[in-house]
Amino acid sequence: MAAVRGALLKHLRVNATPLARNPNPTSHGLFALTFNAIRRRFCDEVKGSFLDKSEVTDRVISVVKNFQKVDPSKVNPNAHFQNDLGLDSLDTVEVVMALEEEFGFEIPDNEADKISTINLAVEFIASHPQAK
Amino acid sequence: MAFTLRSVKVPSNSVSLEEAKGRVFDFFRSACRSIPAIMDIYNLDDVVTASQLRSTVASEIRKNSHVTNPKVIDMLLFKGMEELNNIVEHAKQRHHIIGQYVVGRQGLVQDLNTKDEGMSDFLKNFYKSNYF
Repeated sequence: MAAVRGALLKHLRVNATPLARNPNPTSHGLFALTFNAIRRRFCDEVKGSFLDKSEVTDRVISVVKNFQKVDPSKVNPNAHFQNDLGLDSLDTVEVVMALEEEFGFEIPDNEADKISTINLAVEFIASHPQAK
Repeated sequence: MAFTLRSVKVPSNSVSLEEAKGRVFDFFRSACRSIPAIMDIYNLDDVVTASQLRSTVASEIRKNSHVTNPKVIDMLLFKGMEELNNIVEHAKQRHHIIGQYVVGRQGLVQDLNTKDEGMSDFLKNFYKSNYF
């Protein structure tokens, strides 16, 4: 369902990237075309595989709110799992595993230990190309 | 075969509580990552959700959270690993999983601490010690 929403948003959002022949002050002549070709490739393909932050934030917050031990009213993007939401370390690991399941990719253990707030989780997932 | 990858080759020998804690979290993560396979093997999709199973595993781990001796924690982890291996390699059956990890959460008798809840306090103290 989130994938449908993402696909719909991607379809509706119009890319405002300029076409090939724009005056680029940094590169001239021989290199202009290749640079623009690279830029267009970066715009469409690579950027397309990252999820955007607002969508990631919504999904992360909904996963945390569905967690039984969490009080939904305290959940905000700056919430710290142990300090604000009153979870212990095992609960934190469980929340990270729930996020792993939601976004469908494996978070390595050393990275998972660093995720202690919702903001960090959103940043990590948004910067990971395999997030679905 | 999946179970040969996970079976413990050498029983771990934790030096400190932190190392044991790290091993507990590793075990919890491997259990959570095998939950989709378990639900597939035993056809648990109608009975329970993955997040409920995660909470069940977390509460089982939490039952032993008061232990401070790293060697005891290693032993408990070994038993947990063995149980997980048994479940994943289909050595158990559906009613085992449902009885031990699904229904018990809602009030099966084995979930209670003492079997005889209706016993008087006098008898409980009497069974515990000579002096009360």
